Amino acid sequence: MKNRNIILGIDGVPFDLINNLSDKGVMPNFKQLKNEATFKVMKSSIPHVSSVSWSSIITGENPGEHGIYGFTEIIKNTYSMSFPNFNALKSKSFWHKKPEKKSVIINVPSTYPVKELNGIHIAGFVALDLEKGIYPKNLIPKLKEIKYEIDIDVKLAKQQSKDFFFKELFRILKIREKTFNFLWNECNWDNFLAVITGSDRINHFLWHVYEDDTNQYHYRFIEYFHEIDDIIGNIKSKLKEEDTFIILSDHGMERITQNVNLNTYLENQGYLSLSENFKKYNRITNGSKAFVLDPGRVYLNKKNRYPNGTVRKENEKEIIEDLKKLFDDLKFKNQKVIKKIYEKQEIYSGKMIEAAPDLVLIENKGFNLKGAIGKAKIFEKEKIFSGKHNENAFLLINRDIDLKEPTVEDIVGLMG
Amino acid sequence: MKIVVVKLHNENKTCWNCPAAKLMGNVDFRACGQARGVEGVISDEEEILIECRRRPDLGYFEPNITFKQCSEWVPADFGYVLKNMRLMILGIDGYLGWTLALKLANLGFQVSGIDNYTRRDCVMEKGSHTVIPISRMTERLKVAKEIFGKNINFRRIDLNDTAKVKEFFEEVKPEAIVHYAEIPSAPYSMADMEHAVRVQQNNVLATLKLLWIIKEVLPESSLIKLGTLGEFGTPLTGRPLFEGLFPADATIKWEGRKWSLGGETTPRDPVSFYHVSKVQDTFNILEACKYWWLRSYDVMQGVIFGVYTEELDMDKRLRTRFDIDEWFGTVINRFVAQAVIEIPLTIYGKGEQIRGFIALNDAMQCMIRLIISPPEPGQYDVVNQVSGLHKLSDLAESVAKVGINKFELDVKIQRLENPRVEADAHPFEVVSRKLPRSFGFTPQVKLEEEIERMFEVLLEPEVKNRIEMKKHTIMPVTTWQGEKREMKTLEKYDPGTKKIAGHKPIFDT
Repeated sequence: MKNRNIILGIDGVPFDLINNLSDKGVMPNFKQLKNEATFKVMKSSIPHVSSVSWSSIITGENPGEHGIYGFTEIIKNTYSMSFPNFNALKSKSFWHKKPEKKSVIINVPSTYPVKELNGIHIAGFVALDLEKGIYPKNLIPKLKEIKYEIDIDVKLAKQQSKDFFFKELFRILKIREKTFNFLWNECNWDNFLAVITGSDRINHFLWHVYEDDTNQYHYRFIEYFHEIDDIIGNIKSKLKEEDTFIILSDHGMERITQNVNLNTYLENQGYLSLSENFKKYNRITNGSKAFVLDPGRVYLNKKNRYPNGTVRKENEKEIIEDLKKLFDDLKFKNQKVIKKIYEKQEIYSGKMIEAAPDLVLIENKGFNLKGAIGKAKIFEKEKIFSGKHNENAFLLINRDIDLKEPTVEDIVGLMG
Repeated sequence: MKIVVVKLHNENKTCWNCPAAKLMGNVDFRACGQARGVEGVISDEEEILIECRRRPDLGYFEPNITFKQCSEWVPADFGYVLKNMRLMILGIDGYLGWTLALKLANLGFQVSGIDNYTRRDCVMEKGSHTVIPISRMTERLKVAKEIFGKNINFRRIDLNDTAKVKEFFEEVKPEAIVHYAEIPSAPYSMADMEHAVRVQQNNVLATLKLLWIIKEVLPESSLIKLGTLGEFGTPLTGRPLFEGLFPADATIKWEGRKWSLGGETTPRDPVSFYHVSKVQDTFNILEACKYWWLRSYDVMQGVIFGVYTEELDMDKRLRTRFDIDEWFGTVINRFVAQAVIEIPLTIYGKGEQIRGFIALNDAMQCMIRLIISPPEPGQYDVVNQVSGLHKLSDLAESVAKVGINKFELDVKIQRLENPRVEADAHPFEVVSRKLPRSFGFTPQVKLEEEIERMFEVLLEPEVKNRIEMKKHTIMPVTTWQGEKREMKTLEKYDPGTKKIAGHKPIFDT
């Protein structure tokens, strides 16, 4: 008899939402599980974005070890922005740590391009080339047959009607479910990790629809989670008694009230100076002491790390203190923007700490921290999204656990 | 001590120029890196992303890392060099191909190459041979390995054999391709119908096939293609020979109206079917860059001469071929050979033809600079690879002077009836700004110095003997009318007895 692990990820779903929808009867299968199992708030990664969080979930380690600090990174010795992918992950995922166990991995963000493993791996976003996103390759024809897609085209949400966006969300969810079912029986696996990512998309674009039950699309929104519950029910029906079953999200979601352009703040305060030549971060001149990457990662413009870096080692401490005060003072209509400021050594440890942001800012509710360069105003209304990430993910596991406040780094340890 | 920072010519080139960069598409980075690349469609309004084949751990990123910033590009004498760059030389057994292979192997490149020995066969057909002896390819490769400790990856393949070329490209995945695999002879192409057709087939069709293969297998690899300055002819109006494309401020006037010519291709005026083949290549490559985003430098090389590079000089067994026959002997090389065996140096017609020239060593320097500073996707550019302009009668004087003064040879000059259809007196202005201004090229070789080196090598008993054996192949018998006959001698004279006459060349660098 083997101890199988089944993990269902529902990307971008906060504890409150799933708790609420299950209580209201929209998600009866989840409700039943929640009553029978452990259901807790799970702390997301710092910062609370999918790439960092999922990298911690699959490795059991903090960013100081696995090296993923955000969806973007500035390449050393340059100001070029990169989008780190699975090749940049500096720790082994659980399926590579224990290659003797057969794993089926479906749609986990930031696991593209796939690498050889004992089992099956279909990468999640960001993946531009399906062929590099699937292992083994002989699965490709079958996946093409069921019209598998890695992500929904978010351009549709911006350019097309909401009806069309919903149609796409439901279509992709059906394909995802078909894929889960097909791969469930494909091999005799030990670990089955499958992720639904449409949940993150719907929450980003339509959080206001969720919050407003008079909105004409509110029930379509609710229906989407009802469909997710059907998938949960389907998996539940196939479980064996000794299986470990985990349902989790990677981060939470909440309403955006205000975008906060932190680089504009730094610019106004004389900590960042931008040239009119070049684009984006390449505009940073040698008069700059610091800059910010999404969402609230603050980097000192260090000498010998960036082309126009001027901050010397001996001045780092002083500038960090100044910056902490500066961000602590940031207010919007008398409301403090920043809830907590971490120095990197407080939250990260490991071989990749050198690449870590010098400070990480955690925002108060509703503030959406941004690292855009050259924006005219510090505070702006968000035009496209209504939902933004927060740290309150959730964890459900079909047994008792010894953790009061579980985090994304604990998941590998909970697997049987 | 003051540290002098030397700016290398290619330090501000970016991933756009780098063959390791693969365009991936757009990412809409609004939330969670939500992305969807639309295959083949790149919109520059959104984030354009690449993947680096050499640094896959970077994930996708903006293509604006400079060579100076990138850890894969390291500073060297000729500029930033891509570490262990994979290079493919087409025509690696030839005079230039072999020389470049050794130079690059010595510089740490991973060199591969193909050849089907066309040059050896054509020279043999003429009844001649390379006067500097060269061994079989297997032997040459062994010696190169012995001296440089590096394998040159060679395959005997005809460039027309598409399947084999493609297979080799897929195996090697070259990051730049140097194309020397053409028959480089005007008189050969004028000999008769068979030769004219062979040149066009070998040069034009093989290059066209090559473009399709690059498109399919290696669209990020740059093609550095040997053209010839002769593509432009010798305009009797004195119009400068621009570098392939008109400069931005060039205009044309007609009936009181005026238009810009900036960026348009300059007129070509080929002077043999061989030159026509090069012109046809030019347009095929230009179009391929336009349609498929290929990238290429078309190298309008002046007449090549010389025997020296650091590598060729390391061991006699490494030397490159040296032809003197009327088909493949370039003019200075032929003059020195004639002087060595004390037969008159032959100039055609008035001898006032002016040509651009470049020494072997300088040509190699240019090629390396072009290889390590690749064009951007879709960029087709032309460089005039020339280090000096000379009138042929003046060159004969220069060779004679060195022969007489330094080597005590009895050297005469003779004018022959011109077998070619060409202007034998004409104005000549050449623009050659790109290599010195954008690629950091400074000629290292002085004309007399190289001529002297050539004398030293060609006077070695074995080489001199090989010249004697084939001296009958030097005199021209191939006319542009397609007849074979001996040319009449118009005049024979002692060097230093003629007044300098005619047009003066203008060299615009």
